Amino acid sequence: MAAPPEPGEPEERKSLKLLGFLDVENTPCARHSILYGSLGSVVAGFGHFLFTSEIRRSCDVGVGGFILVTLGCWFHCRYNYAKQRIQERIAREEIKKKILYEGTHLDPERKHNGSSSN
Amino acid sequence: MAHAAQVGLQDATSPIMEELITFHDHALMIIFLICFLVLYALFLTLTTKLTNTNISDAQEMETVWTILPAIILVLIALPSLRILYMTDEINDPSLTIKSIGHQWYWTYEYTDYGGLIFNSYMLPPLFLEPGDLRLLDVDNRVVLPVEAPIRMMITSQDVLHSWAVPTLGLKTDAIPGRLNQTTFTATRPGVYYGQCSEICGANHSFMPIVLELIPLKIFEMGPVFTL
Repeated sequence: MAAPPEPGEPEERKSLKLLGFLDVENTPCARHSILYGSLGSVVAGFGHFLFTSEIRRSCDVGVGGFILVTLGCWFHCRYNYAKQRIQERIAREEIKKKILYEGTHLDPERKHNGSSSN
Repeated sequence: MAHAAQVGLQDATSPIMEELITFHDHALMIIFLICFLVLYALFLTLTTKLTNTNISDAQEMETVWTILPAIILVLIALPSLRILYMTDEINDPSLTIKSIGHQWYWTYEYTDYGGLIFNSYMLPPLFLEPGDLRLLDVDNRVVLPVEAPIRMMITSQDVLHSWAVPTLGLKTDAIPGRLNQTTFTATRPGVYYGQCSEICGANHSFMPIVLELIPLKIFEMGPVFTL
């Protein structure tokens, strides 16, 4: 959670929480998943209604579509987010190593140049 | 530290806490979808015109609502167990600190490189300086290095206590006659607060924990190595 605002700073607006607990704005991938889920729900429900003209069943299909599309987008986005975090961590550590060992025999660039010239 | 009326988790200061926040987001999304489904089912129940009293079974529905919860539980359990085992990894700690709970203060022992032992009492309101945090600040903080694996050995001298620092994802019971161990690596410097998390008497709410995480170079100049 962010630190409370200092006096004089503009007040932070309250973040949107679906059903009172899912913070869509601050949870990575949540907004993206819910939006795509809503779109999927409308497409599935409305599409079913166009073909069958059954309202209740179309609502059921819409709700099912929302859940499935939201879950699918969620897992896909979180997987990519996790991969990105791992890559960021590796990059951070490589930068730290480079700064620490530059000019010494442990310099990663020297090792890399050495292996490519061989 | 948490701000007033904060409901969510604090920002992470250790890799384990980052994993816990990720898991929390994952579990919360599943909970949201289940709540959404239940609300829809409730809406259908309240608005149905179906009044067939001869329904005797619903095999397909019963199969679905047996298998689906099992799948959901597996989806929640797998990441949970992954983090559980991650917290038990041995990572060769650089420093071992002992934390002993008393009624109602903590004693910290840095015995790796000498014999630094001190008590940590909550600052009474009359002794607070401007800017100090009421019920959180202490007279002697636990000073530790950043980005070094640290082992905390936690026990109690009298009753049950619990040594907790939310931003590091730590909560370990202090049990008299038992040594509990927890390890952590802080990723950024700062001052981090926690409170006793096991009811231990009248002043259970008044024995906070304060960690001051500083760069290793500055830590090495401190009393741990120079006393």
